[in-house]
Amino acid sequence: MLHKPSLSRRMFIVLNTLLLTLITVLGIIPFVHLLSISLSSNTAAMAGEVKLWPVGFSLDAYMFLGEKVEFFRSLWVSIERVVLGTAVNMFLVFITAFPLARPNSQFKYRTVYVWFFAITMFFGGGLIPTYIVVKNTGIMDSIWALILPGALNVWNMVLMLNFFRSIPRELDEAATIDGAGYWRILWQIYLPVSLPSIATIGLFTIVGHWNAWFDGILYMNSPDKYPLQTYLSTLITAINSQMSSMSPEQLKSMENLSEKTLRTAQIFMGALPIMLVYPFLQKYFVKGMTVGSVKE
Amino acid sequence: MKSSKTLKTILLLSMVMAAFTACSSKGSDSASTGTTTPSGETKTETAAPEGPLSKYPEPVEVTEVMGFRPAEDPRTPKGLTPDKNAYLQQLKDMLNIDVKYKWTVPTDQFEQKFALAMASGDLPDILELGQKDYEKLRKQDMLADLSEAYEKYASPELKKYMESDGGFSMKVFSKDGKQYGIPSFEDPFLSTQLLWIRKDWLDNLKLQPPTTMEELDKIAEAFVKNDPDQNGKDDTYGVALQKTLFFWGFDVRGFFNGFNAYPSVGDAQTAWIKGNDGKLVPGLIQPEMKQGLSMLQSWYQRGILNKEFALKDENKVVEDITAGKVGISYGEWWYPAWPLNLNVDKDPKANWIAIQIPSISGPGKSLVPKLRSGRIYAVNKNMKNPEAAIKMMNFYIEMGKKKYTDMLKPENGFVYNWFSPRVYNPGQIETIYTEVNKALAANQTEITLDDENYTLVKDVFNYVKDYQSGSTKIASKGTNWGGYFSRVAENGGWGLTRQIKEKQAFVSNEFYGIPTSTQVEKGSQLDKLMQETFTKIILGAPIDEFDKFVTSWKTLGGDKITEEVNAWYNEQAVK
Amino acid sequence: MKLLRKEYPLHLMLVPGVILTLIYAYGPMAGLVMAFQQFEPLSGFFKSEWVGFDNFTYVFNLPDFNQVLWNTIVISLFKMVLFLVVPLILALLLNEVTRRWFSRFIQSAIFLPFFLSWTVLGGVVIELFSMDGPVNGIVKSLGSEPIMFMLNNDWFRGIIIGSDVWKGMGYNMIVMLAAITGINATLYEAAEVDGAGKWKQMVHITLPGIAPIIILLSVLSLGNVLNAGFEQILIMYNPTVYEGADVIDTFVYRLGMFSQQFGPAAAVGLFKSVISLGLVSITYYAAYKYNNYRIF
Repeated sequence: MLHKPSLSRRMFIVLNTLLLTLITVLGIIPFVHLLSISLSSNTAAMAGEVKLWPVGFSLDAYMFLGEKVEFFRSLWVSIERVVLGTAVNMFLVFITAFPLARPNSQFKYRTVYVWFFAITMFFGGGLIPTYIVVKNTGIMDSIWALILPGALNVWNMVLMLNFFRSIPRELDEAATIDGAGYWRILWQIYLPVSLPSIATIGLFTIVGHWNAWFDGILYMNSPDKYPLQTYLSTLITAINSQMSSMSPEQLKSMENLSEKTLRTAQIFMGALPIMLVYPFLQKYFVKGMTVGSVKE
Repeated sequence: MKSSKTLKTILLLSMVMAAFTACSSKGSDSASTGTTTPSGETKTETAAPEGPLSKYPEPVEVTEVMGFRPAEDPRTPKGLTPDKNAYLQQLKDMLNIDVKYKWTVPTDQFEQKFALAMASGDLPDILELGQKDYEKLRKQDMLADLSEAYEKYASPELKKYMESDGGFSMKVFSKDGKQYGIPSFEDPFLSTQLLWIRKDWLDNLKLQPPTTMEELDKIAEAFVKNDPDQNGKDDTYGVALQKTLFFWGFDVRGFFNGFNAYPSVGDAQTAWIKGNDGKLVPGLIQPEMKQGLSMLQSWYQRGILNKEFALKDENKVVEDITAGKVGISYGEWWYPAWPLNLNVDKDPKANWIAIQIPSISGPGKSLVPKLRSGRIYAVNKNMKNPEAAIKMMNFYIEMGKKKYTDMLKPENGFVYNWFSPRVYNPGQIETIYTEVNKALAANQTEITLDDENYTLVKDVFNYVKDYQSGSTKIASKGTNWGGYFSRVAENGGWGLTRQIKEKQAFVSNEFYGIPTSTQVEKGSQLDKLMQETFTKIILGAPIDEFDKFVTSWKTLGGDKITEEVNAWYNEQAVK
Repeated sequence: MKLLRKEYPLHLMLVPGVILTLIYAYGPMAGLVMAFQQFEPLSGFFKSEWVGFDNFTYVFNLPDFNQVLWNTIVISLFKMVLFLVVPLILALLLNEVTRRWFSRFIQSAIFLPFFLSWTVLGGVVIELFSMDGPVNGIVKSLGSEPIMFMLNNDWFRGIIIGSDVWKGMGYNMIVMLAAITGINATLYEAAEVDGAGKWKQMVHITLPGIAPIIILLSVLSLGNVLNAGFEQILIMYNPTVYEGADVIDTFVYRLGMFSQQFGPAAAVGLFKSVISLGLVSITYYAAYKYNNYRIF
């Protein structure tokens, strides 16, 4: 194994590194752009002069951000939502994917259940009926309205199901012989060997909760309960409402809305926490983990 | 075998049951919503005492919903939410009314959330409505008749406002002698189109402000070619335009008016002009449009319009204006307050002026709507104290008086646009203009006016004072100038608009009803057709495409809409 | 009886998922009746007028519907294919990166754009491709005239597809990376001993190892054949490219321009659901019948 890599291999490595570096740069550009705007003077930002480097460097936006009670209040709601929501989602994914990962020979109604869930990936009732159901289940205006309606993410569940199926069958056959029930097989055998897939689905769940903004608008009755992305969405109104004339009152708020650097600083800071989650979860993407435990 | 069958049955049964109960419970709830009242339960029966601002002996609870914008004033206490607005405490103290918000949501999402509230039958006592929702609720007989409450309780100021247009707006929102809505309307002339142009660029090039389209054409070309900002770079263009051709700003409404064409007031539908036979005709498809379109095409070719205007939304155009890349824009009185102020802050030399829109034969006539009413206030039929809504309007107007000024400061938690219902003086801008100018002429240092307009006038007066003394303690130079030049200057935004109003240089958009049924069905198609055709013509497609457009427009529903609009005009329009 | 006892815990595990799905996914489906009503929020589901299939005929007979349907299918098919191929290539390339920190860094960077909404990214993309943006900078330096990318139907479609893949490719890439980590490492060791090169290892071990996940992702993506990316297109398109970029969702969105049309919107939703479910179930049963493999 210590032989020198061949010439073609070395060339591949160089090209591969170059290509991946290029893609990396593409991924980072928007963030550099946002960061530069937030660090520029407001007039330069309003004139659209800032590209990838601050123009008229200024930390004002971040000074003001420090005083933005709304930002931090929403950040806290988001953290609450992510922690609680991820716990609920992951638990449901585990206990739902596990039975459905059994072969049909062991679980007769598996296919019925699978389709019962799968259909919901394609059919939805739409905004109004969902709103009415949420309202009638009495969770309106509480954090549960952001968690329960999507508590079982079928897509993630199907993914987990597939990961579970790739676990060697011998493992739980051995456990069954030892007299272990399904619950024990799930918690003590399946989950420990599934860390990479748990990390993957956990990441998607966390990101999903973090990025969701529209349910905040729908189910929360006052802005102090908005999660961060909902709050941020109120700052950028790209799709303009169909107003056809500017009233003096609307005008007043336009005059005051010209804080582009502050808005951008909030968007940037709003993405920062979630950006840090992935590198943390990456340590579970370790090769051969499954195999190691199979050998024991 | 048998057991599995039983199990199957049990399982299926339980699933069906669960599904059924889930559905039926939901069903019965939404079924009941039409009839039960969401409001009346907690009300205490209270005899309403007389007088526009008399205090209820027992607390009266009023529910509302609200679409709100962020508090404007930076001095507002940090983290304040609408339900903690100090206006509400003041209302409680003065009238013993407790306002409870069922929900509050940013303005942009209001329509969505309000539709959900309607669908789930959860409407508040006092409703702030757009015209469409107002009509829907009225037709479903869900609104209270406010005639009596208005007669009895409306304050003299409120009545004065409502009568200021001869009762026209009030009449629009009444039916069979019953008043179902109180409109908060504005002077329709606020929509008058003006031409904003950079005077410093004209001076640099030794040019005079234009009065005809021909002159405008020459000036616009010079703004492209002759380096009007004298920075030695070819970095300017003529006329600001964003991708939606008829919009609330940076569009071509006023441009077409210069060809005696009246396509739109800025919404996604055509304007309706009275034809020679007294019938309403759609301005969008009149032959005068063609001349305008071919000039736009030529402007595009010659770089007077930005090559990529079709990509730019209003924010992008504002960037160009701020950066000093463009020197001409069609628009309304308010431009100096935003976004021209940004340009002035960026470049102190920038000097924008307003002129009456040029036309093919000298100063032209702008299209003006018949009715400018953003919000209509109505009361849920089930509300026990409908007069409370009127009293709250009185209250808001009352709070504009001088004696409340010291208390009303934003740092005390007063956020005016978090209070509803707020009905304004429809002529507020004219009041501001005359009062501030009066005070300036008399060299006053303070506003002496003492009625409900005090606060409004005082705010603008302060801007102007700061502008004149060059003080930037409270706001930037651009903002002070914007406040002055939009509202107070003799030839500024409103100053010029009122001159045009006096000269009666306008054409009316006669239709102010809600979209007709064919409009709802086909309107988006017609709008797409228009946007596509017009944009393509401007980008270089043959001008005859316009004739094809007119034919398609008519057959795709336009003719039917014309019939419907004329039927409305004959039967329902207030004349 | 024995079967019941054995399967009982499996059913029990599914109870929470089933209940939540019944309430929050199947409950709102009652609202599908809107597709057959002239739905009016004030009247609700029970008092709105029944119109049979009128909503369907109304939408399908609108003059541009065929064009819009075609645009949707073209854009989404390209997106579907690229969303599988690009992440797969990236995952395989990353798998060859030996320095772990570098691999992790690239993964994070690729995933980054996923955290920003189209309201933020749309502007960045438009700027990149504008007349005096960096892409045209390159075009000009090659001696060509600048291209108006965003006003040209073909380029615009390409940009819509490309930028969406760029934004979302991290997602599937991570799923595939997680699947790769699940491959038994002893297989690689054995191949190494047999003298198989990296290329052969990839073809014979890695690809077959993650085939189930790739198939799952492909089948599920079929469900999106009528989703071409609503928010993205709404923010980026303009009248000059309606012809090639107006898709079902933007079309339906604009139908509500003058007054929200709930019935037609629900009808289109139902139409999309039926097509998605149809495609996914056909592939599901085809895979089962011919390969005896259940995708989920």
